[in-house]
Amino acid sequence: MRARLLAPAAALALALAAPSSALALNINEEFKPQNEFKLTPWISIEIFGIDMSINKAVFYVLAASVLACVTLIWVARRMQMKPNRVQAIVEVYYGLVDSITRGNVPQEMIRRWFPFMAALFLFLWFSNMIGYLPLPTNTEHMVTILGIEVPSLALYAATANISVPLALTLVVVISYHIEGVRAKGPVSYVKGWVPAGVSGAAAVPIFFIEVISQFVRIISLSVRLFANILAGHLLILFMGGGLVILLNLAIIGSVVLGLVTGVLAVAFYIFEVGLVATLQAFIFTTLSAIYLGGAVAEEH
Amino acid sequence: MDLTLITELAQSGVTAEVAQEYGRKGMKAIALGIGAGLGTIGPGIGVGYIFGKVIESVTRQPEMKDEITSIQWLGFALTEAIVFYAFIFGLIAFFLG
Repeated sequence: MRARLLAPAAALALALAAPSSALALNINEEFKPQNEFKLTPWISIEIFGIDMSINKAVFYVLAASVLACVTLIWVARRMQMKPNRVQAIVEVYYGLVDSITRGNVPQEMIRRWFPFMAALFLFLWFSNMIGYLPLPTNTEHMVTILGIEVPSLALYAATANISVPLALTLVVVISYHIEGVRAKGPVSYVKGWVPAGVSGAAAVPIFFIEVISQFVRIISLSVRLFANILAGHLLILFMGGGLVILLNLAIIGSVVLGLVTGVLAVAFYIFEVGLVATLQAFIFTTLSAIYLGGAVAEEH
Repeated sequence: MDLTLITELAQSGVTAEVAQEYGRKGMKAIALGIGAGLGTIGPGIGVGYIFGKVIESVTRQPEMKDEITSIQWLGFALTEAIVFYAFIFGLIAFFLG
């Protein structure tokens, strides 16, 4: 017990014995943490004044979609009665998406919407997961290895940029509106937004609240995914050394702070990879299925 | 920042604009911290409530465990995301304000 207490006590004593400048704030103005999310064009493309350059976000989107396609095609080509490890994982994924779709979408629409939900889940899962692999994509800082300039390793995810979740959300929202109109006709679909049992004058304010909530869905669905991934990356960035560089303490302060935040960085990393990446893909798919089911359901 | 900064500022004849700029930056940082911090209170209570209720319902009806677990994660993710709404709007205010 005493030995266990000794280690933090020694660190504390060192920190207290250090000259006062060890704890003095001297913010490092050169280090800009937001640059980690800056998109520098790799290949500049401009069409009609719109910037369509290839940058690392585009690379991550492509990587996620290629990985999703390759995994499923690879497994589909090699189906066995006795599943190998990859096939077993894919079967778990298939069962999960099946339960999401079956639980929320009416029976006759499952065949049409299962592929969309499955593709959505796998794409989001892959783009969240490869976001936690350090890949050489940071062209802001070049490192020279064996005489060759290589981009330094960076964490980035396509879903940590608002455009990708927003585009997916718009696809989901537009398609469930279309399905709703197709199932019920435009007038009774819009009427169906008012909950059953509300009638007369009370229906008017409730209808407006429902209209607003349709727009809030766009924001909440996209920002939930985007903010979760962005905040996870920021936490890992700050804990895994960003804070130490930014605060620019003297050597002892840096070591103590670095040890504390380094442990936290590992904990956050495990939390993000183990839970948040999969959970956010699951939530996005589930909410899409719930919205779709709600749009075509007979009773709101 | 060191306390010596104050004497340095006094001697170097820093203009009011520069001092104001630093004040603005400081206030924005404080606002982001307070806003994001306050935003975590509600979801914190909410996440605790969800897991408390899950424990309560699973001990009451252990045969419903699988169904409750899937709803639990839905509720957890929906509540947890509210922290990040506060954080994102704080960041927007910080960088655009």
